Amino acid sequence: MSLQLLKPVVAGLLGLALIISPAVADPKYGGVLKLYWGTLDTTDFHRHTGTISLTHPFAETLTSVSKDGQPKPFLAESWQISSDGLTYTFKIREGVKFHNGDTMTAKDVLANFSRIRAEVKKGWLTSAMEPVDRFEAPDDRTFIVILKTPFSPFLNLIAEAWILSPKSAGWDKTISHPIGTGPFTFDSWTPQVVLKGKKFSDYWMKGKPYVDAVEFDVRELADASLAVRSGDLHGAEVPLSKRNILGEDKNVMLDFRGDTSWYFVSFNNKTPRAPFNDLRVRQAISYAIDKPAILNLSAGESGQLVNQMAAPGNFYYDKAMADADPHRQPNLDKARALLKEANVDPAKVTVRLIGEATDRSVAPIVQMIKRLGFNVENKAYDDLGYQKALSGYEWDIFPGGSGPRNDIFLRFVRLMSDGPNPHLWGGVTDLEFDRLVREASISVDDTKRRALYLAAWQRVIDNYYTVAIGHTPALYAYRKELRDMSIGFNTSAHRADGGIAFAWFDR
Amino acid sequence: MRALYPPGSDPDGRAFVLDESEDRPVAGPTRRFRFPHLRLGTWLGVVIMGAALAIACVGPWISIHDPNDFSSTVNAAPSDIHWLGTDDLGQDVFARLIVGTRLSLVLGTVAALVALLAGTLAALFGMASGRIGNLLVFGIVDLIRALPGVLFALALVVAIEPGTTSVVLALGLAFAPDFARITRASYLQEAARPYVAAAFVFGASPVRIALVHILPNITGALVTQFAIILPRCIVLEAVLSFLGLGVSPEYATWGRMIASASSYTEEAPHVLLAPIVALSVLTFAFAMIGDELRRRFDPARRRIMT
Repeated sequence: MSLQLLKPVVAGLLGLALIISPAVADPKYGGVLKLYWGTLDTTDFHRHTGTISLTHPFAETLTSVSKDGQPKPFLAESWQISSDGLTYTFKIREGVKFHNGDTMTAKDVLANFSRIRAEVKKGWLTSAMEPVDRFEAPDDRTFIVILKTPFSPFLNLIAEAWILSPKSAGWDKTISHPIGTGPFTFDSWTPQVVLKGKKFSDYWMKGKPYVDAVEFDVRELADASLAVRSGDLHGAEVPLSKRNILGEDKNVMLDFRGDTSWYFVSFNNKTPRAPFNDLRVRQAISYAIDKPAILNLSAGESGQLVNQMAAPGNFYYDKAMADADPHRQPNLDKARALLKEANVDPAKVTVRLIGEATDRSVAPIVQMIKRLGFNVENKAYDDLGYQKALSGYEWDIFPGGSGPRNDIFLRFVRLMSDGPNPHLWGGVTDLEFDRLVREASISVDDTKRRALYLAAWQRVIDNYYTVAIGHTPALYAYRKELRDMSIGFNTSAHRADGGIAFAWFDR
Repeated sequence: MRALYPPGSDPDGRAFVLDESEDRPVAGPTRRFRFPHLRLGTWLGVVIMGAALAIACVGPWISIHDPNDFSSTVNAAPSDIHWLGTDDLGQDVFARLIVGTRLSLVLGTVAALVALLAGTLAALFGMASGRIGNLLVFGIVDLIRALPGVLFALALVVAIEPGTTSVVLALGLAFAPDFARITRASYLQEAARPYVAAAFVFGASPVRIALVHILPNITGALVTQFAIILPRCIVLEAVLSFLGLGVSPEYATWGRMIASASSYTEEAPHVLLAPIVALSVLTFAFAMIGDELRRRFDPARRRIMT
């Protein structure tokens, strides 16, 4: 067949392909977006100590953590870091308006950073502000941060430093009605019930947002998957156990968060009592813990067996370290031999275990420890109660979990002697560990920083401060008619490269 | 004229029960035993309670599974191996239900006893110790009654520390006011009776009159109240467990079973239904028995019957 004859055939096929291929639809405007996406702690965003899920839709930050975990420009159009890593010069985005109509300037940014530094005494932002020497705003579009020492996580950490109008009600004490720059204005909030926002028509991302309003269901739902399937909600974080059921529903799409949650068993490292101050006993308990079984029960096929704080795919994950994990599979014989070697009769020892009441992995872990012959005193507390009980250090073992963090430093800092809430990991006091993490945090070289973090984690493994069990992803479900909605690296509902500003209804 | 036999004067040391129909105290053991005429509901209640007690006693030997053993067979349907299926941790639902029966009965009974003792003794002391004592005791009682029982128990468990003792204590104190009020009402009724006046004339102290003379004569009302409060204790314990604040998580309680199964209603409804049905049936049984006791000990009804 000659080429002349083929031409009309090819053209016809191409034409047919164009007709039958799904058209890339233009975003449509309108609708009220209903989501179950976490909760809100306080209207004074600077003082938040918990989740950041619902803050960004109303107030934005200089940087935004994108789906791959890297900082992206947000309210800062760009930035420069001096060669010594001490000076960060941010170019503030032009034409950004607060919800009250005022134009955001570098002076507003300075006022926010100064307020955070002066007022916020606990929470994640304290780590970001610790190395800061001073702030400067030489003109309306330049904001400079001068650090005392280099601090590599700085750009990721300030992705939680919300920029609010200093005219927000309660600015001098506690902000009661935040005025931000986000795609939605803060409309109303009924704690534990609903948080509402209205479309901000002067939003700086041209043409966005597409929906007229957003309603966040902030009740504590055990399972929002049915509400998504019925159409009562357009998107929600749902239990991993619903993955198969939701996967079969043609009206629902699934998405996974970029960063994972990790699960661990911590020993009391601050005031360890005999025999748990003996490394062999800690080893024995670690050999008794059936990591694959725990992951299977809590996450099914989605669990990842990892002995580190970073999961595969993360820059700070190390495969060799994972492969060398002696506790990938339980080994009760070895565990019993270690106890014998340490002269410990488990029948005469009662393990004091503290757990969170809703954590379903605690019961299997208790059974695993009991298999060695130990008695277990298992105390379950509510969300606040277990943290209080842990801080008393009247315990031996704590099985727990930890959610996504904007930077790996925020995971390591928890194990530092002077880190925030050190009791969750048993109050580790290891000066060498502290030094390695500190060195990593000031290192401007990626490879060197990774090596330092890994060296620090190797100390955790060798000393059995905490035994990492594995990682589980977080599952999100959206209605099919909701287009271009996505979850990023962390739990935030809005970011520079996706989230609710990009979402629209195709009805 | 009513004959007065102050309690304690019986050579055998038995307490007398004043039978209004005969105007003289009658010692129980001297009466001929008659098989009680019970209503169908009461019979059902007795049979269910008997079965629950039997299960609580011998249940662990019936089940072939350890209630705490987990497996990879999660949310399985009922089968020959797992009679009521398995839960989200692969634990045998039947084995856990049996353990839960024992725990619910024991915890409910002990908590109801704590409530009975605390409420009755506090009320008797308040009534016997004059106006100030009365005001003080019943001020506290009214204060507790003003709070919803669940909230009060929840606050107590959180304030003390989660665990079996704190749960029993919380349940006991939450329901103690119910006994206090019944005791007070019965006390006032009994205090007007001549035997109390006689005891006073003989020089008995108010506390002695309350504990030795009046208390034995109000046991009927207290037993009835106990039968009403016991299922409420069981249900409230289940609520606390459901909220994760009950006894230690390693114990399989019905409330905890309901809480964990509620996330899997679609995949494994039988796991949720099993403890709910058990709780409902046991509560029904106690309600029937309590109703029968109330009928029998209700003074107004007794007068009509005689």
